[in-house]
Amino acid sequence: MQGKVIAISTAGIGTPTEAPVVRGKIVRSKWARNLLTFLMVFGPGLIVMEADNDAGAVSTYVQAGAQYGTKLLWLLLLLLPTCYFIQEMVVRLGIATGKGHAAMIYQRFGKWWGLFSLFDLEAVNFLTLVTEFAAIALAVSHMGISPYLGVPVAAVGLTLMVLTGSYLRWERITVFLCLLDFAWLVIAFRLRPGLGGLVHDTLVPGVPVGGITSSLMFLVIAIVGTTIAPWQLFFQQSCIADKRLRFADLTWARLDTFLGAVFTIVVAACMMIAGTAALVHGINFADPAQMANDLRPFVGEVIRLGILLLMINAAVLGTTAISLSSAWAYGEVRGWPHSLQMPVKKAKGFYATYIACVAAAAAIVLIPRAPLQLIILGVQVLAGIILPSAIIFLQLLLNDKELLGEKYVNKPWNNWVNWTIIVVLFALSLILAAQVVAPNLFPSA
Amino acid sequence: MNFMPATMNLNMTEVPENHYFVVHPLDDVEEEKVDTSTLGPMPMTTSVKVSLIALRGYLALMVLLVFYHVMDLAGVFGKH
Repeated sequence: MQGKVIAISTAGIGTPTEAPVVRGKIVRSKWARNLLTFLMVFGPGLIVMEADNDAGAVSTYVQAGAQYGTKLLWLLLLLLPTCYFIQEMVVRLGIATGKGHAAMIYQRFGKWWGLFSLFDLEAVNFLTLVTEFAAIALAVSHMGISPYLGVPVAAVGLTLMVLTGSYLRWERITVFLCLLDFAWLVIAFRLRPGLGGLVHDTLVPGVPVGGITSSLMFLVIAIVGTTIAPWQLFFQQSCIADKRLRFADLTWARLDTFLGAVFTIVVAACMMIAGTAALVHGINFADPAQMANDLRPFVGEVIRLGILLLMINAAVLGTTAISLSSAWAYGEVRGWPHSLQMPVKKAKGFYATYIACVAAAAAIVLIPRAPLQLIILGVQVLAGIILPSAIIFLQLLLNDKELLGEKYVNKPWNNWVNWTIIVVLFALSLILAAQVVAPNLFPSA
Repeated sequence: MNFMPATMNLNMTEVPENHYFVVHPLDDVEEEKVDTSTLGPMPMTTSVKVSLIALRGYLALMVLLVFYHVMDLAGVFGKH
């Protein structure tokens, strides 16, 4: 290739005199080109993965660590390829169609399934937003700040993040917040259990002492449901469509998604390790904020404050991603302009949906004696219902040759892997439902 | 690594020798995607029908289970 000039652009080409002007950067080497292209494409994959380590995830992983130490780390390792395979399909679908997931379900499966998917997504998303703000309220109150100040400030900040009329500005802020989660590695290192046990429990699947109990099953299902969330399918596809990723960006989008998956699982493992500190010191807690407080005599104020701030960060990340997935999905189905690249006055419905989600969820949390436990239960039930159905639609769309053509549909091995994941998710969902109906299905802890 | 910002005609194929021109997706001309506007509902092949029937069955079962649980909590089936 030495001496050969290569122009990089994947868009259509007009005549020389009509060609539009395109801003770009000139680099001198292939590796620089690849690196720069990756950095330009990077974002949706990391955000969709790391935003999944939201307030609910912190709670779930910390609880897992507090109950079972590091005995469930192997489950996270299994979930790494699982969430990557699912999101990789979303990447292909988003790049090939340039449209969001809700729009595709509506178009290819008809109005009934389209409205069902949309309604379920909006419902579970809204309830999840309430839990995010509940976590913010909890964390700030443990920091001596009134929730009546902390929650509205968070809501305003989340609103301002998206109102800039620039997708890139929102993405850079959100990526920065994602990278703050590196602090979990520092906390895990500070609280680290023995390395030998850590490696063994990560690589060797095993059942904790006590065997398979109803408590363990609930936690396993909660971990799976936390790590693979329905909103992620809708969010990443819409995000890719909004960012206008090109066919040539597919490899880099896959790498972005993979790195995001690795980072998320590592952070999740660190949260679990943080929870083991409670087990080691014999601390019983109702929530991670209380755990952070109770750990202070053993680990110091810095770790306590770090956990509280990271809880807030997790909730903020979850809120912006989930609210956007709702706003994008609703805008797609309604046919409204729906892009972060548009100013507010050109996409009023889109921004109004986002702001309404954030404001309503924040307001509910501030109501005295709001039924937050019922809401948390509702989230689990609805998420358990929507996830298998969302994954089925995704799988069917990725086998739709009429839609994607031969090049982008699933290969046979894709289908083997994905149908296995779907069957396991269905089974877990039915086990959860069966446990609710028959609490003695598994022995108690 | 030396980046040189440049504004160039899209159609221009003459980038300086041994150099590459990299465009951000948001700055690039909108790419032609799969045309979905002419596509209606997905053809109902056997696998699609089976999948959707299984999904309907699963959802009906889940709704019944949730309904049963709510009735149980409300004490309709007697206290435990």
